[in-house]
Amino acid sequence: MRWIVLVAVAVVAIVIGVAVGPSQLGVRTLWDAVRGQGDETTIAIVRDLRLPRVSLAFMVGGSLAVTGAALQALVRNPLADPFLLGLSGGAGLGAVVAIALNVGGAWGLPLAALGGALLAIALVYRLALITGSVLDTRVLLLSGVVVGAFAASMMGAILALSPASDVRNALLWMLGGFDRASWRSLTVFGVYASVPLIVIYRQARPLDLLALGEEPAKYLGADVERTKRLLYVAASLLTAAAVSVSGIIGFVGLVIPHAIRIVWGHLHQSLLPAAFLLGGALLALADAVARTAFAPLTLPVGVVTALIGVPVFVFLVRTWAT
Amino acid sequence: MFSRTLGALALAVTVACRPADHTAQSMRDDAGRPVAMDRPAERIVSLAPSITELLFALGAGERLVGRTRWCDYPPDAAHVPSVGDGLNPNVEAIAAMRPDWVMFYMSPSNDVVIGQLEELGIATVSLRTDGFADLKRAARLLGAITGTAHVAGQLTDRLNDDLDRLRSTTPPGPGPSVTIVTWSDPPIVIGALSFLSEIISLAGARNSFHDMERPSATVSIEVIAERDPDVLLIASDSTYPDWAARPEWQAVRAVREQKFVAVEGSEFNRPSFRGPKAVDRLRTLLAEQSE
Repeated sequence: MRWIVLVAVAVVAIVIGVAVGPSQLGVRTLWDAVRGQGDETTIAIVRDLRLPRVSLAFMVGGSLAVTGAALQALVRNPLADPFLLGLSGGAGLGAVVAIALNVGGAWGLPLAALGGALLAIALVYRLALITGSVLDTRVLLLSGVVVGAFAASMMGAILALSPASDVRNALLWMLGGFDRASWRSLTVFGVYASVPLIVIYRQARPLDLLALGEEPAKYLGADVERTKRLLYVAASLLTAAAVSVSGIIGFVGLVIPHAIRIVWGHLHQSLLPAAFLLGGALLALADAVARTAFAPLTLPVGVVTALIGVPVFVFLVRTWAT
Repeated sequence: MFSRTLGALALAVTVACRPADHTAQSMRDDAGRPVAMDRPAERIVSLAPSITELLFALGAGERLVGRTRWCDYPPDAAHVPSVGDGLNPNVEAIAAMRPDWVMFYMSPSNDVVIGQLEELGIATVSLRTDGFADLKRAARLLGAITGTAHVAGQLTDRLNDDLDRLRSTTPPGPGPSVTIVTWSDPPIVIGALSFLSEIISLAGARNSFHDMERPSATVSIEVIAERDPDVLLIASDSTYPDWAARPEWQAVRAVREQKFVAVEGSEFNRPSFRGPKAVDRLRTLLAEQSE
């Protein structure tokens, strides 16, 4: 039953995302345009702008939620998410460096972002081990925030000093948004995201064990070190793919896994796909709000996810504390 | 809108004072602050490219001791040392030039620096230079401050003649609709309160975002596709921008048909006495595009 509801929510979010936009199209016109009939511009708006944009927002939202769920189990802290662990910042810095050096292109940008994300997570991990040989998850999260801040200030320096206006405007792109969405960018994202999504899903059982703690996980037969390495790299690649098509979008990875755990419990076998569907629905709707709330002006989608995410987070912390 | 009202107010005050005395003590700048006319203007720092160009046009260019790094016209401006950015500028770099006047583009982000300079006893003036009407007002004020009022009068008269000529020779019909795209990701377009918008309407075309009462706006590609401009105007030297090849932009008819007009040169992005020539050039470019 709850699966039916969740799938219905996802479908409704996608339909709303395609149906609304700054240009108001009637149901009839929309349906004709989807089938390739009617005015050329309307067909292009629906088929080449809205459909890939909503699909990309859904895929990115789902991926961020899955990344957050995996990271929270990995570090056994409910506050972990790609943004707070410095992954998004590292990926953004990698992407900005690639843009500033004018290398990469559509397929190379995610790889540059992946380089930044891996460097960031390695640095965060190393910092967290400063206090001793046992990983302290509180220090890990603080290190993530510090590395994220460092990456943000490096991006700021590159953007301030760069003579080229296109690099300066990368700042706007970093705020997050799906203006770059097309069938091509959806393909790029799909190719880069599918492997880590499968990897994380296949690690659902070890994630259940890891969530109990590394020692118990070892006793219960998990290859802890290998699982951790695999998951960190997969999380980095997912974050990098997301950042390189849509900039830095916060709160989806943090809030969605919590919301899902309330209804689905803690088993990753079902938690991960459920988080993917709800994260996708949330970001598709957030993007619809960003496009239409102040039409014809657009908001950065990160603003909308923060407006939705912060109150939900406060609510979750309250229920969690009591 | 508020600054428009202020500007109109300043204009009204200026006009009202003119018959009595050209160097009236009660002249006000575009921020509504009284302008001290008794100060010598021998060492001037200009913090806007439009103001630098205007000072050179008035014949006061050799009195400039500082400019922004964006002041690239006339070529002689390159001999003036740069003090960096013009918005939220570096107060130490300005003070180091020992100016007696510092001229700002009117913006709230300059308020702190204006206060700091006033404390140092340096006279300041804020000018809004977004269109030809602003340019004429600024010429009158700077003419009075620098003692070049007669030059300002001549230049303004000639500009008025040029603008009259342009208005009377506007091609008949509604003209092509134009969207000015200044950035592609996210798409940023020029709204009504921009000099380029004024240039476009004098050239006999329509800015498809004329309803946006702001200098520029972030919109989605869908909005541009829906407004369906005949021509896209880009500030660049290349007639086919990189982003035009991206698949999502093919939803815009003018992109598919490669209807781009590239305007390069500072006469298009800031009001100056070269403006009428820019309008003539844009007319030629638009005519070539509609052939």
